[in-house]
Amino acid sequence: MNAPCPEHPLEALLAGELPFDEAERVQHHVDSCAACTQSMAWLKLERGWMAQRARRAPHRRALDFSALEARLASAQALRARTQGRWSHQGKMALGAIAALLFIVFNVTQQLPPTPAEDAWGLEAWSVPAGETCVDPTREAVAAIEARVGACLVATPVVLSIAR
Amino acid sequence: MSRWDVAFLSAVKMAMVSVIPSDTDRESTLLRRARAGDPAAFRTLFERHAPAVWRFLRDLLRDEAAADEATQETFVRAHGRLSALRDGDRLGAWLLGIARNVYLETRRRRGMTHVDVDDEAHEGQVEAVLPTPSPEDLLLDRELEGLLAEALGALREERRAALLLRIDHGLPYEEIASVMGWSLPKVKNEIHRARLQLRERLADHVGGHS
Ligand SMILES: [Zn+2]
Repeated sequence: MNAPCPEHPLEALLAGELPFDEAERVQHHVDSCAACTQSMAWLKLERGWMAQRARRAPHRRALDFSALEARLASAQALRARTQGRWSHQGKMALGAIAALLFIVFNVTQQLPPTPAEDAWGLEAWSVPAGETCVDPTREAVAAIEARVGACLVATPVVLSIAR
Repeated sequence: MSRWDVAFLSAVKMAMVSVIPSDTDRESTLLRRARAGDPAAFRTLFERHAPAVWRFLRDLLRDEAAADEATQETFVRAHGRLSALRDGDRLGAWLLGIARNVYLETRRRRGMTHVDVDDEAHEGQVEAVLPTPSPEDLLLDRELEGLLAEALGALREERRAALLLRIDHGLPYEEIASVMGWSLPKVKNEIHRARLQLRERLADHVGGHS
């Protein structure tokens, strides 16, 4: 049993999509092939039917441009509102970022430097002795420290300098 | 010219007179004007393409009122995205691509589920003996039109969409691949299978009713 001939070239022939030489070759084959003659008849039927069907499609109100205009107008208004909102929100966001940066800048100016930032800064050398024990567990160990007579929690370096 | 050719050409030509717009404006010019914000150009494009978009959506949704709504939604979206269309793109295929997305969303929103009448097991037996149509079969009377609609409706949705893009809207296979998000071989295979299923369903009404 032979493999069926592909329909694609026949369809292309019918749609006028083939160059002249190719069209002639396909037509010559169709003329001598029963299966392709039948396929061709079905393809013509299909195209003819679809064309008639398209012509008969009912006229719908939705296909009048006037019916679409109102929707286009409201879609455009919505787009404009959304863009306006984004633009407004963009300004608000910029303001918020600027305010945040200002606060962060000020706070960082007031905060003592972290060890990583300024481990060898002059400030470390001038910390008063009373402020060396800044550990939050200070109260908990205060009694022990009092008994021992030494600061047990603070940074050893600072402690040694303070002493 | 054979009897077939005369009948075929007259059927197709008669239909084409009313389907293809007689407007001589080139589409690319209209498109450029519409993109620049010319409402008259967009209106002309709408009037040219809306009937085909509506027909495609009617055939997918199988509901005329739903197709009305989906057609308008398609053009509202198209209007908002005209700038995304590149110069070489074909407007018809682009619109049908948007229409298909609108259809998929409509289907999801309505909780529509398609009953696949033609299941995979059935497909293997499609290549049954088919009659050879005669030129007389070209006349699509109301009864046959109903049967054709039923046969199309029985196809799996994706397959139906691909077939319609080819046989009703005349899209080249490459554009169908783009609209459907399929490879070219898959497009060819699906359309071939759809055709065979359609023919089998209509065989009793064709070719001297053998
Ligand atoms: Zn052949």
